[in-house]
Amino acid sequence: MADTATLVRGAPATPAPPTPSRRKWPKLKFGPYLLILPTLAVIGLLLFWPMIQIGIMAFQKVGTRQLRGEPAENVGTQNFTTIFADDEFWLSLQHTLYFAVVAVGATMLVGTLVGLLLNRLGKRMSTFVAGGVMIAWATPPITAAIIFTWLFGTTGGLVNWVLDRLPDWLVGGGWLDYNWFGTPLSTYTVLTICVVWQSFPFVAVSVLAGLRSVPGELYEAAKVDGSSPWRTFWSVTFPLLRPIFMVLLVLSIIWDFKVFTQLFIMSGLANRDAFNLSLYAYSEAFGSLSPKLGVGSAISAVLTVILLVVTAVYVRYMVRQGETA
Amino acid sequence: MKLVRFTRIAALGAAIALAVTACGSDDGGSAGKGSSAAPAPDPATLTVWQMGSGSPEQTAFLDGVEKEFKQKHPKTDVVIKYVPWPDVATTFQKASAGGEGPDVTEVGNTDVQSHIALEDFADITDMVNAWPEGKDLNKGALANDQSNGKTYAVPWYGGVRGIWYRKDWFQELGIQIPTTWDQLTAAAQKIQQAKHIPGIGAPSDQTNALVSFIWADGGDVAVKDGEKWVGKLDQPQALDAVNYYTGLVTQSKVAPTKYIGKNELQGPQQDFALGQLGMYIDGSWAYPQLEKISKANSTKWGTFPIPGKTGGLAPVFSGGSDLAVWNASKNKQVAFDYITVLNSKKNAAQFADTLKFLPQFDDVLKSDKYTKDPLMGAFAQATAAGVKFTPTSAGWAEFEQSKKVLPNAVKSIMQGQSAAEVLKKANEQANELLNAS
Repeated sequence: MADTATLVRGAPATPAPPTPSRRKWPKLKFGPYLLILPTLAVIGLLLFWPMIQIGIMAFQKVGTRQLRGEPAENVGTQNFTTIFADDEFWLSLQHTLYFAVVAVGATMLVGTLVGLLLNRLGKRMSTFVAGGVMIAWATPPITAAIIFTWLFGTTGGLVNWVLDRLPDWLVGGGWLDYNWFGTPLSTYTVLTICVVWQSFPFVAVSVLAGLRSVPGELYEAAKVDGSSPWRTFWSVTFPLLRPIFMVLLVLSIIWDFKVFTQLFIMSGLANRDAFNLSLYAYSEAFGSLSPKLGVGSAISAVLTVILLVVTAVYVRYMVRQGETA
Repeated sequence: MKLVRFTRIAALGAAIALAVTACGSDDGGSAGKGSSAAPAPDPATLTVWQMGSGSPEQTAFLDGVEKEFKQKHPKTDVVIKYVPWPDVATTFQKASAGGEGPDVTEVGNTDVQSHIALEDFADITDMVNAWPEGKDLNKGALANDQSNGKTYAVPWYGGVRGIWYRKDWFQELGIQIPTTWDQLTAAAQKIQQAKHIPGIGAPSDQTNALVSFIWADGGDVAVKDGEKWVGKLDQPQALDAVNYYTGLVTQSKVAPTKYIGKNELQGPQQDFALGQLGMYIDGSWAYPQLEKISKANSTKWGTFPIPGKTGGLAPVFSGGSDLAVWNASKNKQVAFDYITVLNSKKNAAQFADTLKFLPQFDDVLKSDKYTKDPLMGAFAQATAAGVKFTPTSAGWAEFEQSKKVLPNAVKSIMQGQSAAEVLKKANEQANELLNAS
């Protein structure tokens, strides 16, 4: 992309007649493709190849013997019938879906609000706040998960301590020994807070970037017309930033669907009632000394298909957007 | 400009990709070196895997072992690699798939049968029989390393669980060492009332302690009937024992709900060390860890064996590590020679002492050194009374580590589900998973 632009722009500068520049085109036909080749090779090696492998293994029985070199046995759709017959699969799927809906909603809401705030703030304060929230974004998930496990822990956990100090009529009593990771609902409450805390900064900064590109006259006009901030947001800001919101929404859905690290740290394998699809796949594939990569692949394949559907909807929307624009 | 930046990024990407693959091939190379000098009787290096992250004491001990080993094999250098416990499953998975394994490895005793089924370990029956000190190895522990009459590993160090308590509180409240389950509950109740802290910890993810209660009641998880494992979790004995254990949380309420979904290291250990929990179940090896958390009360800690239901001692699960020769090793005899040095009676006892474990030789265990020790005495006593193993089926790893059937069953019972129904389901899973090939 980048080089064709410069070359095309560079062409008229040469004193040659206009036709040669057109004749140059066939030569450049493969230029762009050559340039994306290294990226494609790396992505192909690190992403597509494993994905193809997963697609194949989902229909095979793959354990240690097969990894050692014995030919893998084809089992048809048996891996899929196994997981579809397993109550834990449906429970995990349910958790994954509910969590994605809540976490994506909260991420978009908090991110947009902080983005709007950043736009209102002065230059210095805005940099300060943006820097602050970016730290949360830059924190590795495993670190964040451990910190949140400590915060919500029973021995020396800050959250339980604070809740216990608060008056009982406000929050109820007996918080000191409250086990946040004992039931799925409370586990996912902590998980949602942790994941949203880490993912809203990206939304906030992206929204901010979008807001900076909106011409100020539009807001002035809205003000003159006596529009409320609520109305201004939905009639001016949102329609203009719709493409950005769409990208953020789809990315958030993809990210929140495959949350693994945080849940693995917080409740781990001993709490199967709080599994999501990623953890379920991990426990089947790598949980014990004798791996069952076939079943694990089948679960991953289901997760991938769901995400492909989400992406397809998004791409369709983008293409339509392109047509009308 | 843009083009330059792009090529840089592409180059970086390619470099990362190369680095990733380079790491992979490097591993294979170095591991291969150890075994490629095969035909010569003494290889240049012998690769030994140790589980855990290691400690200065352990390294010093292993240096001493290497010196002794070199008297017999002066040309062989011993290369130690520490495998942290959380990485054990994946590291072994890779080793048994790619063949880049060690020559000698330590292995958690519950994993031995799975490894045998995967043909990871060499058959060392003849070598063990020819080893003079091998005759005193604890028979029960050795049985866990055997399959179809062949020996694939030797026990190295082991430990059993007991109940940690506060000597000062027992004295102050006039509590005798409990010898029955009712007394145990009563003791916990007394502490709870007087000290306003939970009386005992009963985490749901502690199968190795739970089985003691099941065995003490005459029950079992599963027993082998001919070639087949038959689940016994739906039997009244197992039900009664699980009811007692979960009842500590739900009925007598002497154990807190905050440990539901956790293991003994995710709360009980810290709380006990900090004086916020009356009793908890753990092994002798917990002592160094407890001291690390808080030394303030360390002189007041005591231990007693898990009591039987109406008296006597509960059979205990023997946790610990064994030593095996990796099947792909090209130097099996040299590897076993190293094991005989590492696990000589003298070295085994020395190493077990530093870890607060027990060596696995009967005559050593019966010596005064262990039976008269104030802290280790309870554990030596329990060991002498009889250790048992969880089902020695290759499917146990799947049942306990991957599916965590019992921890999840205990959890749901503690949260109000019917014990009979949950155990019936767990038993079906035992029947299925323990017999899966």
